[in-house]
Order: sequence, then C-alpha cells, then structure tokens
Amino acid sequence: MPSVERKPENFARLLWPDGRSEQVRLGATGKSGGAGEIFSIDGKPGFVAKIYHAATPQAHLARYRRKIQWMIDHRPELPEVPAEYQDIVQLAWPEALILSESRFVGFLMQKIAFDRTLELDYLLNRRQAAEEGFDADYGKLVTVSFNLASLINCLHAKRIAIVDLKPSNVKVYKAELYVSILDCDGFHIATDEFRSDAPQVTPEYLAPEFQDKAVAYPESQDAFALATIIFRLLNYGIHPFTGVASDHKNYPPELAGRIKRGLYPYGRSASKSVRKVPASVHEAFPDGLRELFDRAFASSGDSRPSAREWVDALKTYANKQSGRMSPCDKAHLRFSGRPCPTCLRDALIQGAEVRRRSFLARVQTAPARTLSYVRKTLRQTHSSPFQAALAQAQLTLVQLAPPAPISTRNAIALEILWISGLLVAYWWAK
Amino acid sequence: MSPVTATVLWAVPLLVAWLWRPRRPASPSALILLVCFGALGAWALWFGLYAHSGEPPGFAFLKPTVLYWTLAAVLMMAPLLGWGYPVKFILGAYFALSSREWRWINGGFATVYTLLGGLNLLVASKASYKDWDGFKFACMMNLLIIVVLRLNFVWLPILADVSIHLYRRATAVSRYLSGLF
Repeated sequence: MPSVERKPENFARLLWPDGRSEQVRLGATGKSGGAGEIFSIDGKPGFVAKIYHAATPQAHLARYRRKIQWMIDHRPELPEVPAEYQDIVQLAWPEALILSESRFVGFLMQKIAFDRTLELDYLLNRRQAAEEGFDADYGKLVTVSFNLASLINCLHAKRIAIVDLKPSNVKVYKAELYVSILDCDGFHIATDEFRSDAPQVTPEYLAPEFQDKAVAYPESQDAFALATIIFRLLNYGIHPFTGVASDHKNYPPELAGRIKRGLYPYGRSASKSVRKVPASVHEAFPDGLRELFDRAFASSGDSRPSAREWVDALKTYANKQSGRMSPCDKAHLRFSGRPCPTCLRDALIQGAEVRRRSFLARVQTAPARTLSYVRKTLRQTHSSPFQAALAQAQLTLVQLAPPAPISTRNAIALEILWISGLLVAYWWAK
Repeated sequence: MSPVTATVLWAVPLLVAWLWRPRRPASPSALILLVCFGALGAWALWFGLYAHSGEPPGFAFLKPTVLYWTLAAVLMMAPLLGWGYPVKFILGAYFALSSREWRWINGGFATVYTLLGGLNLLVASKASYKDWDGFKFACMMNLLIIVVLRLNFVWLPILADVSIHLYRRATAVSRYLSGLF
C-alpha cells in the first residue's frame, strides 16, 4: 500500500528540496479532510505532514507529486510581515515531499498555531469571535480584509489561484491580524511550465458565470470569493446574495441560485426584484468600497475588482495613521465621514427585538381581544370613538335595523325554521 | 339512508326550534309562509322518503312552478289581507327600510317568482329534459343570494354570540380546573 497507515508509530521519509533525506516518525492528530489526513512529526514541532488517504488511486498520487514538487520549487513571495511576526505562517505551503517505502504519500508543511488563530468563519459572528478571544471591531476587520487581499494578490502575481476560497479555508491570527490560507495543494496553477487545475468549489462563493460550469478564469473566481468574504466580514456575516424577495415564486431558496441570477440587493441603485436584509449596515460603508462591491456582484466578471484593487482600496483604512477610520460617539471605530455601522446595527437589532416582543404579545392576546371587539361591536359598547366608527363602518354598509330584542336561542330557533324552509324549497324543486 | 335516520334528521332540528321558539305571537305573514312550507315539505318528505312511487307521473315538471307561484301568491295576498310583508321573513328584517320600500321589494319578489313559475312551464314544455333540468337549477340561484345575505347579517352575529358564550364557558372551566390542581 503506497500510503501511511493511520497508526501513531508510522515512519516516513522526508525529501527536502536540497536533496537531503531523513526518516521521521508521524503521530496521528485526528484531523482529516477530503483528500488526506494531518499528522504531527516527532522532533519537528513547527511542521505537520499531510498524508493522502490510503484509497487515493496511483494516478492521482502521481499528479499530486508533480504538483507538490513544483510548489516546493516555486514558493511565492508573500506580503512582508514585521520582524517580530516572522513565525506567522501565511500559507500552508509544501516544504518537502513525504515518501513511504520510496513512494510519494504526502508532503510536509509549516504548522499553523491553532491556539493563536481562529477560523475566519468565526469573525462573521461577533459573539462567536468574542467567545474565541477576538474582540472584533471595524479596524480589525478591515485589516484582516486587507491582509487577505494582499495574500491573494501575491498568489495571483505568480499565476496561482485558490479557486475554493471560503472562510473555513482561512485562519486569522487573533493578535497580529494576519491570515493564513489552508489546503494549498488544491490551488490552481497556470504557469508557462506547469499547469494544475482545481476542481473543488463551494457554490456559495462561486461566481455566477461558473455556477454549474468549470471555472475557466480562476483569478476572476478568487476575486468574486474575496469580495464575498470582505462583504460578509464588514456586514456582520450577511452574504451579499441574502435578501428578501419581492416575488417569492421566482426567488431561488439556495444562495447558489441567487448568485447565478445576480440577485444582489445591496447595490447603490436598488434592485427591483429583491430587497436588502433589514439588519444590513452596508450603507455605512464608504462610497469607494460600495463601488467595488457593486462591480463585484452587480456587474459582469470583466469589471470585477481584482485582489490588487482591493489591496489599494483597503490599504488606507487598514493604516491607523491615515485617519480614514475614526471613533464614533460611543468609541466604535467607523469609516470617517460615514455613520457608525456598529451603532447602526445595534439600533436595528434593538428595534427588531422590540418589534418581535410586541408582535408576540399581540399574538398571545389576539383571541381575547378579538372576542372583546366582536362583543363590543354587537352590543355597540365601544368606548373608543375610533373603534365605534370602525365597527359602524363594518356593519352598516347598508343601514341596519336595530337588533331584535330576542335571545340567541330564539334566533337559532327561527333560523332553523328558515333553513328548513330553504331545504324544502330546494328539495321540492329538485 | 334508512327512514328512521331521515326522520331523526328532520325531526330533531324542528324539535329544537319548537323548544327554543320565541314566546311572543308570530306575525300572520310568517305563519302563512310556515304553513305553505310545512305543506310543501310534508309533500316532499312523504313522497321522497316514504312513498316514492306514489307521486303523480309528470308532476316533477310542475313542482318548481308550484313552489314559485305559491310563494308569489303568499307575497301578493298577505299585504292585501293586512298581514304585513312576507318578504321580510324570506329576506330577513335586518335592513332598516320603510314600509314603502318593503312593499316594493315584496312586489318585486312576487313578480320574479311569478315569472320564474311561468318560465318553468314554458321551458318544461318546449326544451329537452336536460335543458329543463339545467334551467331549474339556474333559477335556484335566487335562493343562494338570499342565503349569502342571511349568512352575513344573521348567522354570523349568532355565531359570534355563541362563540363568546363558549369562550366564557371554556375560560371558567379552565379557571376551575387550574384551581383544582
């Protein structure tokens, strides 16, 4: 079997780019993905091994080896980080081949410190982020967005694209705000000397032109996914294609369908067929960012902003000294000259909560209030002039005679006779 | 349906109506309508349920005419005899109309029923059985209109009264039960 079995005492051989070879012992971590499993390496705490699953066909393993070898030989230049942050891993990039019995089984990569990082997914929900020790504010979120765009821009400069870019594939350093991208062996590479496709996609982050099709322009796909992630980061996790349909019949229930039909409700010109989610704070974004979002979601792939454009747009906001972000009256960071998105969101949520409680109270008291209203209408004892007028309007479209002074039982008896007469008339003529 | 079940089905509601009847004297126009419908109903019940084959042959074609002309006769004769306007009991006395307006409506109904009765004879003699049958049921639409009016102005208020009564009872029962436990 050309693969490492999942036992703690497994041994494998590392093959470094300079030709050195060394035997290491792998330890199971319990972390497993679609393609392979992650192992720790004895004596190398800064690295982990990704070992492809035992069932992976030989032909696939041969393709993986060619790709990993190329990646080891062509490490991209990454955004510079300050000297004190040199231990930050921005890409889980392959560092060495791993062989078992002289056969390729996986690769070595730098270990991302899980205790210092959290999945970008957590940043989409402020409460979850706080529970993970990340106090999210707009300054930090813009910085994370900028760092992610910078990293993708560096990859694109080397004609490498991520394709399956989504929050769960991105880790964020909680203190330093740098990001780290996982699953590098699934990247799309299209250089002159080497080419490798990336078939894996996630429909919620897939550009409309590639829904139900192969991704023909991976950089354009990355640009769409990057814009989607930045939008969600800045808009409390709201996906740019989540909305409220004005026509439910033609509104796809799943996000992929809405992306395909371009149902983007957060544009500067309002969409006719779909409305924004009430809790959205996109109106607090600066015009420059809103224009980029509109180009990313409301126009064709040709005019979609690239990672480079996002870097340029976010650079000044991520720089504390630029003054483009300033505190509001409640000390939340906001885009200077724009309303505070945090205050806006608090007001929206508080308003929604008040409305929800009021609605529930009304629903709970509805039966009693309805009966009381009907009783007052029938007995003409409405104390409110408005209710009295309303009751009159409902029952006196034609002028009615005052109620007959008979009891309900008497009225029922008369109506039984009347219905009997009607049935007789019907039965007789039938 | 067995004759016993059928008898129970018409007798029980009439018994309830009798027990809950208003104790004040009924208007003569209401009584004459009641007598007519009683006679027609008794005929229909007798030949429909108990003596199906005893009805004279060919009488079925005349039955709508008998119904409409009987009603027309009652509607025309009652005001002349000083018994009031029977249309108040057919339509329901929930509209606040003057006597003059009731007279016109009474006359209108009498005219419509006279015409319908005559038209039935004409269609029965000239048209096929199928066409006559269709015509007969189409004419009964006037009953539906009256039902809709009565549903809106009489039955719904009664239903509301009954609902309020039941709601109060249910609330009292629930209060009593919660007191027990």
